[in-house]
Amino acid sequence: MDRAEIVHQNFLTRVRHGDLPSTALTTLAQADLTPTDLVELFHAQVLSRQLDRTSRHLQAKGQGFYTIGSSGHEGNAAIAWALRPNDMAFLHYRDAAFQIARSRQVPGQTPLWDMLLSFTAGADDPISGGRHKVLGSKTLYIPPQTSTIASHLPKAVGAAYSIGLARKVKPSNPPLSADGIVLCSFGDASLNHSTAQGALNTASWTAYQSTPLPLLFVCEDNGLGISVKTPKDWVEASVSTRPGLRYVQCDGLDVVATFAAARETAEWVRKRKKPAFLHMRCVRLYGHAGPDAASAYLSKVEIEADEARDPLLFTARRLIDEGVMTPAEIAAAYEAEGARVARAAETAAARPKLKSANDVIASLIPPKRETPERPRPSANIRTATFSDADIRAMAEPQHMAKLINFALTDLLLEHHDIVLAGEDIGRKGGVYGVTQKLQKRFGAHRVVDTLLDEQSILGLGVGLAHNDILAIPEIQFLAYLHNAEDQLRGEAATLPFFSNGQYTNPIVVRIAGLGYQKGFGGHFHNDNSIAVMRDIPGLIIACPSNGRDAALMLRECVRLAREEQRLIVFLEPIALYMTRDLHETGDGGWTFDYPTPTDDATTPIGAIGTHNEAATDLAIVSYANGYYLSRQAEKILHKEDGVNAKVIDLRWLAPLPEQALLEATKDCKKILIVDECRRTGSQSEALTTLFLENGRIDVARVAAEDSFIATGPAYGATLPSRDGIIAAARALLKEPSR
Amino acid sequence: MSRRTAVVIAPGRGVYNASELGYFNRFHQDKSDLIKGFDAVRAALGQESLERLDGAARYAVAKFTRGDNASGLIYTCSYADFLDIDRDAFDIVAATGNSMGWYSALACAGALSADNGFHVVNTMGAIMQDALIGGQMIYPFVDEDWREIDGGRHALLKLIDETPGLYVSIHLGGMLVLAGTPEALDVAEKRLPRVQERYPMRLANHAAFHTKLQRPTAEKGRATLPASLFQQPQTPLIDGRGAVWLPKACDLNALWSYTLGAQVIEPYDFTRAITVAMREFAPDVFILLGPGMTLGGATAQSMIADGWRGLASKSDFIDMQKKAPRLLAMGAPEQRGIATNGAPQD
Repeated sequence: MDRAEIVHQNFLTRVRHGDLPSTALTTLAQADLTPTDLVELFHAQVLSRQLDRTSRHLQAKGQGFYTIGSSGHEGNAAIAWALRPNDMAFLHYRDAAFQIARSRQVPGQTPLWDMLLSFTAGADDPISGGRHKVLGSKTLYIPPQTSTIASHLPKAVGAAYSIGLARKVKPSNPPLSADGIVLCSFGDASLNHSTAQGALNTASWTAYQSTPLPLLFVCEDNGLGISVKTPKDWVEASVSTRPGLRYVQCDGLDVVATFAAARETAEWVRKRKKPAFLHMRCVRLYGHAGPDAASAYLSKVEIEADEARDPLLFTARRLIDEGVMTPAEIAAAYEAEGARVARAAETAAARPKLKSANDVIASLIPPKRETPERPRPSANIRTATFSDADIRAMAEPQHMAKLINFALTDLLLEHHDIVLAGEDIGRKGGVYGVTQKLQKRFGAHRVVDTLLDEQSILGLGVGLAHNDILAIPEIQFLAYLHNAEDQLRGEAATLPFFSNGQYTNPIVVRIAGLGYQKGFGGHFHNDNSIAVMRDIPGLIIACPSNGRDAALMLRECVRLAREEQRLIVFLEPIALYMTRDLHETGDGGWTFDYPTPTDDATTPIGAIGTHNEAATDLAIVSYANGYYLSRQAEKILHKEDGVNAKVIDLRWLAPLPEQALLEATKDCKKILIVDECRRTGSQSEALTTLFLENGRIDVARVAAEDSFIATGPAYGATLPSRDGIIAAARALLKEPSR
Repeated sequence: MSRRTAVVIAPGRGVYNASELGYFNRFHQDKSDLIKGFDAVRAALGQESLERLDGAARYAVAKFTRGDNASGLIYTCSYADFLDIDRDAFDIVAATGNSMGWYSALACAGALSADNGFHVVNTMGAIMQDALIGGQMIYPFVDEDWREIDGGRHALLKLIDETPGLYVSIHLGGMLVLAGTPEALDVAEKRLPRVQERYPMRLANHAAFHTKLQRPTAEKGRATLPASLFQQPQTPLIDGRGAVWLPKACDLNALWSYTLGAQVIEPYDFTRAITVAMREFAPDVFILLGPGMTLGGATAQSMIADGWRGLASKSDFIDMQKKAPRLLAMGAPEQRGIATNGAPQD
């Protein structure tokens, strides 16, 4: 017999025979629970259980698409009951009972229906719109995510951090209350993920220096990661002695004890604004998911031992011992719930599903929102904020690093709820000085020196966004993004998708990157691969080639984040930060006037830059350093070959400004793509495809070798060069038109 | 034959009209003890006999729509109808109501005894009649085929936002019940175009129920009616926010506090209650208690709005009712027959 059926029959048989286990060490009164609370918790647990059973029936009938259950973990209903319904909760995928119990704290919820629509991928599933089985609810402060690999923990740390920060930066519409806490739950196996470990470390690091962090980690320890056993007492041994983190255990089989521990711990977190780790021991019933037969890796004795510790049996015992319900009433309530779920399942399964690609992708890009116009800071305030030296410098053309610094200053002035965060960006002012003086101007709470952990930096950005604070996190070097990119890919970018646009996390991530630093740093400071970002649905990648564009594009990115709730990467070419000259030493050709906010100049998303608008012999399409080198090449080609080349700066790498590119190149006889990223997986592949698919066959490309970048004199050997571009242009122009 | 599942709906004020005169006498002669018991309470308070009102030769609006008469009459008929449901044929899985029908639902579900339910209804009806603060008006945002008019609901809500003293009283399927001060209702009446020959429709002898204007009523209610009247229901209840109250899980103080607090002074969302009933209890049928059956329209509109069992229009609903009715109005003789005798079935 199927184990789910065995557990079901066991429950009814043992209840009817009064053969029930007890761990009743905490009384209802001690836990400050009433008998009616106990019945509520029982109902939440039973509904969760019956949903698990029904999900399997639905799958068997081809109507359901998800069978990873919450059975054995239903003690987490008591954790929900111990919290406030507006304490944001980033949930483990086995937390159906938590969401159900929370839904009972807010009038008008339909947890049964909502979960069934989620199992059956109904288009009116209120959280994901039929895209994905996720736990989540806007009303219940449960942002959805898959939570399979604990990658939701860094943002939980960020969200908890935002609560203290919001007191200072005062976001316009903070969803989290000042005395709220944040919860994140996960399994004992997920605890071993580096992401989880990083989040725990960041929480400890933060609390250790007395920075407020009202965060409750809940580890639901069923002793198994699919088939691999967690070493005995591993969770406790691993976590209980971390600095700054309070460790508490509870028996998740006993809702009363779990409630008592959760309430006490949650209130401690709320009052002390410090993180705690609630270690809830529980069991996993019926294997990992529908098709997983636990008998392949557990003995029958082990399986039956877990089944004998079904948390519902313990709750039933409590109800009887407290005189709240008789065994017959418990069995009847359990069966009535099963019948109710089955009835509703029949109706839910008949609801419409998503059909087309357009249906599915409709929520990749979040909806626009109304944002109040903000008054520009007065000239006096602005003058007082910038130093005299800066004000003087604004009258002269400047390099990109300085212009980004000015633009950041103006943005921080204009938007009180923008917060910068990153490694060395505060006191030091950034390893390249781009954020110099910002911390002094705006305080350590708005220009935050973080610890060295990119997952935590991006998680902070996502977490702040959950509380209406616009983060501009900085990744110090592009190569450092890669260990953390899932925070963009798996978390931030998926949030509107999983929530049907109800939850969003607008962020502008500044990343210093790309090659050409003369002899400095090698690969880890000159990474030239952004392939990992290019295919993230919904992500915008901005990449300026010069300081004026950088200032204008940064403003546009902030607008896109504020008004359109977009997730953006702002990629800054390090080698151009301090570049002043274009063709000759001292020509100042790559310094630009600062476009002050009162200028009407903009560089909207999708607007490309064009040099030599009227040229038709050749179009050179490039960006960043490649654009800079192409401008040098263009001058030489003109002088030496009489070639009139148009040089196009993409500016926006994702989404590619396709129509603008096709339009700008339509009168050009030939097209040369210059891409400082690697031949494989780079923009040049997409651009070549774009042109070929649109009938442009006289196309060639110059791209970087598929190599890491060397330190020392060969720093540029694998990258496109001015002379390489000239040679490629000549070769292309020499070829007869195809 | 297995029992069909049913959600019971108790109607609110305004359903005992001329055509309902004699309703109790017509259907409930076997329950004369019930009405006589209630009348004994009323006699002690110097109120008119319900039995005599129900048995009157003529219907008089001024008399029958008074809160202290209408509430008791409607409750008595609804509760008596509830007792007539064939429980061998129907398993009642939840009870809900509209507005004053919430008190009736509490009694049907067992959260108030029949007598205590009457006490609550009669007391609240009298308090409201004494004060008669403000009034109510009904206006649709669906057309005559129950299709939502683009922007209609939004425009109504905007009008409410813009008019001092005007509030949403009840979300009633494809209609909104507005409530407010007489001045505010006058403004609304002037601004709302006349549609379907009867809207905007002012409701005689109705106060501004479910608005903050009723705070004094709620306070008096709480002072007069103690929490000890309430007990654990036997059947789940769905209130005017769509919240579900489960047997043995009700905090009775909270139930009392809601019933004589938020329920009185906050908008009543009947649409949400029906939506929750459909989604969370997935009944085979809804049984609408009498008297009358005017709440059937709002119930059907709520069903269509949620696409219940594939319903998309008024004609779908009418077809369903013809083939195998799923909304059984006890005020309609044929459907009453099904509710009380358990046949026919699809």
